[in-house]
Amino acid sequence: MSDDKKIGAKGYILPAAVVAFSFLLIYTVVVIIPDMTMVNIKASEYAMEYIAKDADGNVIKDDMGIPVPNQAGKGRAIYVREGCFYCHSQFVRPQDRDFGSKVNAGDYANETPNVLGTSRTGPDLSNEGGKMPDAWHLGHLKDPRAYTPGSIMPSFSYLNDEDISNLVSYLQTLGIKRFEDPHNRGIYEAYYPEADDAFWKASEHHKPNVDSAAAANAGAGIFRQNCAVCHGTNGLGNGPNALAMNKKPANFSRPFFKAYSDKTWYYKVAEGVPGTRMPRWKLKLEPEQMWYLVAFLKTLPQDREVIIQDYQTINDKDWETQSQLPGRLIENYHHIGAKKAAGTYEPNPGGETAGGTGH
Amino acid sequence: MIGKILSNEEGSSAKFFIYSAIFWLVIGMGAGLLGALEFSFPDLTRGIEQLSFTRLRPAHVNTVAFGWLSMANIGSALYIIPALCKTKLHSEKLANFVCYVWNFVIAAGFISLVNGYTEGREYAEYREPFDILVIVGLLLLSYNLFKTVLDRKVKKLYVSVWYIMGAFFWMPLVYIVGNRTFVAMEGLNDGILNWFYGHNILGMWFTVLGVGIAYYMVPKMSGKPVWSHSLSMLGFWTIAFFYAPTGTHHLLQSPVPEWLKALAVIFSAALVIPVITVLTNFYMSMRGSWWMMTTNMPLRFVLTGAFWYLVTCIQGPFQATRGINWYIHFTQWVVAHAHAALLGTFTFFVIGSIYYGLQRITGRRIYSVRLVKWHYWLLLIGFTTFFFSLTIGGLQQAVGWALGYPVAQWGLMLPPMWLFRSIGGILMFFSACLFAYNIYMTAHEDSISTKEELDIAVPVEVK
Repeated sequence: MSDDKKIGAKGYILPAAVVAFSFLLIYTVVVIIPDMTMVNIKASEYAMEYIAKDADGNVIKDDMGIPVPNQAGKGRAIYVREGCFYCHSQFVRPQDRDFGSKVNAGDYANETPNVLGTSRTGPDLSNEGGKMPDAWHLGHLKDPRAYTPGSIMPSFSYLNDEDISNLVSYLQTLGIKRFEDPHNRGIYEAYYPEADDAFWKASEHHKPNVDSAAAANAGAGIFRQNCAVCHGTNGLGNGPNALAMNKKPANFSRPFFKAYSDKTWYYKVAEGVPGTRMPRWKLKLEPEQMWYLVAFLKTLPQDREVIIQDYQTINDKDWETQSQLPGRLIENYHHIGAKKAAGTYEPNPGGETAGGTGH
Repeated sequence: MIGKILSNEEGSSAKFFIYSAIFWLVIGMGAGLLGALEFSFPDLTRGIEQLSFTRLRPAHVNTVAFGWLSMANIGSALYIIPALCKTKLHSEKLANFVCYVWNFVIAAGFISLVNGYTEGREYAEYREPFDILVIVGLLLLSYNLFKTVLDRKVKKLYVSVWYIMGAFFWMPLVYIVGNRTFVAMEGLNDGILNWFYGHNILGMWFTVLGVGIAYYMVPKMSGKPVWSHSLSMLGFWTIAFFYAPTGTHHLLQSPVPEWLKALAVIFSAALVIPVITVLTNFYMSMRGSWWMMTTNMPLRFVLTGAFWYLVTCIQGPFQATRGINWYIHFTQWVVAHAHAALLGTFTFFVIGSIYYGLQRITGRRIYSVRLVKWHYWLLLIGFTTFFFSLTIGGLQQAVGWALGYPVAQWGLMLPPMWLFRSIGGILMFFSACLFAYNIYMTAHEDSISTKEELDIAVPVEVK
């Protein structure tokens, strides 16, 4: 074959056709068939709606005949524009805990463009609606680290008021239709500060006698199932999770807990403690169960060693570290504290280790 | 005037593409670095919406993917194809024109993305006008290169030509299917299409172009023939058949149809075949001449890329299986993996090809071999730091998700990883600046070498 001769496409038409055919075949299998089989997926009852409707349920259209988005729809556009989906997924996997019920194909019918997400630097948001009050979202979007210590979410303080309220409105609708339990839906309504009366009214439902031993016994079980992992089986703030926490869980043997009223206990259990990992238990527990917990918490003993005179002798530093010590150490510690107070304390006598001997 | 703007000089379009690519490398890496720093210092750019992480991320991804890697690969293809066909490029003017169009797209796209004008689909963020311009550019380039191949003066098509032609055939199709500008579907289908595009832009564009370039560079620089031509063909055809349906492995536990997921997993696993064939071929070609890595810097870049290719492409098929995806998905492990492909592998390939090819196109020696070495080591050390910090961080996240711990708890373990990632990023960004400076000085240096001198000079001497 001489070098000067042009060769052209002859002889390569078949391979080229094979390349084209293979791609089209794959395209058919991967794109066209799924579209044909899935195109008729109907919006499920849980699918969110982003189109504004008037009182009769008719779609509102603008002058151009394009449907107008409702507030959640506008918020969704902000969610997409600000790229929230780069760090927050919106599909719940079977193994996920605490992200609510699974989301099915029909639930995504109105989700265009998709915001499924492929990375979770933050939590999944499929069922975020109603978990936190509007005010929380508003503040958290502007100042994430003031609300969740250690968060690396960017601050969205540059959004204008309209955008940010639309975004909050979108977040509050996420998965809200999947709250099937009417009780939970009631809780959602009770989130707003102005609904305080409703909060207490709901709490009266099946309220047991919180001073009865029976209620406290019932509460002990609930405490061990839900609270003991952080607060420890005896409420000393020494559960296994406490090791990993910056802000340590409360030690209920501290004297000031004895000053709590029933309502204070109930409110803290139900609403959680801001700035800590204490969750809002009303998302999980019935009012009745929370009252049982209150009954149990009231029965927890006050630390016997700590009396008012002693209180003055313990400096702030010790007071702070005490709650971080594992339970067994605390007892020894108080031994030491009592000895210190009595002036009979020797550091480490005879190789005795802190946790080595009992009392 | 037009002759000056749209030069018809041989090699001018390849040069134009490569210089533009290096400019966008610095810009895109800078955006990525700033985004990475915001993981360690979240309030770094507080209140400046254009510099918020969520705005920088699409700008970074699109700028490095389309501005740097695509343009550098196209620039390399524009001189490899004519060289392999022993002919001239069909039209230098056309290719120069496309380069203007793409530079406009990348610049305008960057500005619009940081200002929130986005389509909101991962990897397909460019809005409609830019999508159309990208497609116009791609089709013109495909036409240009296919015409060049038709005009060739050698009968047999070398494997690189197959790969590069494949890339220019598939990429316009993938781009059209994957962007809502052309094909719009609703709900979950949008997600399926999104990931059809998101993964195939890697497989049917970056991989085939990168491997095609490496197939040219390894034998050319080592002076040894490809170990097995039939193996290279097997690699090409298996990539053609196996790559396209794999995208759904990004959605393995979402409610897309099970058969689609099964297909994605099987085909992802089958991708081991092209990878093994390609790497076997490279490694066997280098048998007995690995010492060349010590004296030949462009070859060292390409072979380092081939090492990262092994890492990333062994990870890939395993990650796509359900058992491992269950654990690894959603974490920074995946980010490390994606960078191992685009940065560790294909960026290294194309840098080698730029150092080698630019000397041939311009007829000038690289300005400073010392800077090339600095570039290599900073990039390699920076990327290795980056890769391992994100991989470890990803495993920590994976534990958190698997055991159901709240994000706020395991999130506190990650700051050291974010910091190491940023340190790696700083090294890589610095290396990119050195690279740009070196190429700038090469282009402005007076010493034009003869072909004979270049033939001696190509293996960059280590003193």
